[in-house]
Amino acid sequence: MTDTARQTLLRSLPASFETGPEWLRSLRARAADALREQGLPSKKTEAWRFTPVRSVVDAEFARAPGDAPALGSDVPEGVRARSLRAVLGSEPELLEGRLELAGPPEHFAALNTALFSDGLWIDVPAGTVVETPIEVTHAVARAGVSYPRVLVTTGESAELTIIETYTGAASDGLTNSVVELDLGPNAKVSHVRVHENAGMQVGRVDVRQAADSRYQSTVVTLGGALHRFDVRALLQGKGAECQLDGAYLVEGEDHVDHHTLVEHQAPYCRSDQTYRGIASGKGTTVFDGIVVVHRDAQKTEAHQENRNLLLSENATVHTKPHLEIDADDVVCSHGATVGSLDDDQLFYLRARGIPEDLAHAMLTFAFLESIVDRVRHEPTRARMREALLARIPHGDEIREVT
Amino acid sequence: MLKIEDLHVEVEGKPILKGISLEVAAGEVHAIMGPNGSGKSTLAYVLAGREGYEVTKGSITYKGEDLLEMVPEARAAEGIFLGFQYPVAIPGVSNIYFLKAALNAIRKHRGQDPLDAIDFMKLSKEKAAIVQLPDELTKRSVNDGFSGGEKKRNEIFQMALLEPSLAVLDETDSGLDIDALKVVAQGVNALRGPERAMLVITHYQRLLDHIVPDVVHVLIDGRIVRTGDKNLAKQLEREGYSEVRDAPSL
Repeated sequence: MTDTARQTLLRSLPASFETGPEWLRSLRARAADALREQGLPSKKTEAWRFTPVRSVVDAEFARAPGDAPALGSDVPEGVRARSLRAVLGSEPELLEGRLELAGPPEHFAALNTALFSDGLWIDVPAGTVVETPIEVTHAVARAGVSYPRVLVTTGESAELTIIETYTGAASDGLTNSVVELDLGPNAKVSHVRVHENAGMQVGRVDVRQAADSRYQSTVVTLGGALHRFDVRALLQGKGAECQLDGAYLVEGEDHVDHHTLVEHQAPYCRSDQTYRGIASGKGTTVFDGIVVVHRDAQKTEAHQENRNLLLSENATVHTKPHLEIDADDVVCSHGATVGSLDDDQLFYLRARGIPEDLAHAMLTFAFLESIVDRVRHEPTRARMREALLARIPHGDEIREVT
Repeated sequence: MLKIEDLHVEVEGKPILKGISLEVAAGEVHAIMGPNGSGKSTLAYVLAGREGYEVTKGSITYKGEDLLEMVPEARAAEGIFLGFQYPVAIPGVSNIYFLKAALNAIRKHRGQDPLDAIDFMKLSKEKAAIVQLPDELTKRSVNDGFSGGEKKRNEIFQMALLEPSLAVLDETDSGLDIDALKVVAQGVNALRGPERAMLVITHYQRLLDHIVPDVVHVLIDGRIVRTGDKNLAKQLEREGYSEVRDAPSL
């Protein structure tokens, strides 16, 4: 058991919760009780073994002002985007039973449940197809801890693209985010997340999918003092599909950590994960992916791949894709690679006159860009490319020729 | 233009080239013929500057400079082009964009302004036509999903675009059917000129029916055993490498 008394971050938990609807007070109290008992993870917690979590739990953070993310200037027609605080104040019954859709949270997600003050509820009614993406920006402008929370709900056959950007130069702040997505039958959600904030972040994404729904997530994580993300997709309805893609890059002493859990709970579902990382400098990356196929989830198709480029002797890559299969009629694959840039490719570029460092940068960029290319919405893809180019050496030269 | 003197090269400690001397003047086309394992590709890689090929003795002088002192990109900038036997695929790097970067790096080295996108596209279209390379292929990732023939045409397209002074073509004919071979050979011939030298490396004589060399060298076991004119290639085709090796020099 963790010594919770030493975990500074927990000191901000109040003894009791006095505001908000009764059901929310009870969720918050339960989360707080669990935290007081179990604490936040430590190095001894298996899933946090490679994450330098002490720097988060033992640090002193003031509460940053406001948890509410900003919405892009135009909320596309057909989307209802409302402040969580406002809905909880005026019509709390609309949200009852809709938070914690993947069950009682633990660790940092529980802390968010106990302490979030505001957030966004994005809802797309049944049958509504929204072409224009909705943009959500979490700007971490100042030091301190914030607890952003986003709930996305879609009715049957609704379609939505959401772009979340975490930005801000404050390197000593902590963002503890929870994003929940509840996809109705045959709904299609494309979820893009760009993490370019310099500070620390622990983030959870929970997805619950009804029959024939399709969830596509593309995450780009560009460094950061400590970035840890846990994505959990529950494929609960027959024929649901989930695609999780990620591109990440560490340099300096960055730490970037991606954990995924895909649970095939129903038959005829498909999941596909492709994560690609680059580790340079003294950076560390972690990929830990689990696919669980439940006994009744026959005809499951699940694929998982993590490829890494290790570009420095002082950088570290941890990768652990794994499968737990309880059904017998399934097609599953998983794999991981850690390597350096391909000598044949490098020589080919140099033999044509491209200087060595530019050749390196071109191959590095191509490695990550293949993930960004999977985003269907062109303007979004272009923005993600720009975010990558801003971090890759010789990005300007590469932009010029592409 | 190119002067190779008593060149000895080892790969992983194993001697491959055992004393090659060769001189190629501007405007000349030399063929290097030899059986598998004779050191033909090693010679090509050493000229282009590939790592892992250790020169233990001898020298290579190119345009009066010590070639062995230059990194691969400097050699390309000075006008050396290697047409690869097995061009590697580079997924995610577009053929046309990579060539623009290459051409502009070379132009920079020569003190020329970079070509802008419009001029480059015009030039690229013109050069692609020489080897009948479809527009769509010039825009795809480098050699990614290309057939054997398309890869070789892409090599010659790149050569046409980069306008080298010394082209080293390593088994450009391998894997080509006769029609593709003719297209590639026409592309090469279109680039022959008084300012340009070529070193055409091949196992078979058939390429030399289409790209007629001025000089033919026979490379066996790391040494040049015979040098002659285009008729030497025909003799090789008739008699085989062992006969030619064992015959007294002309």
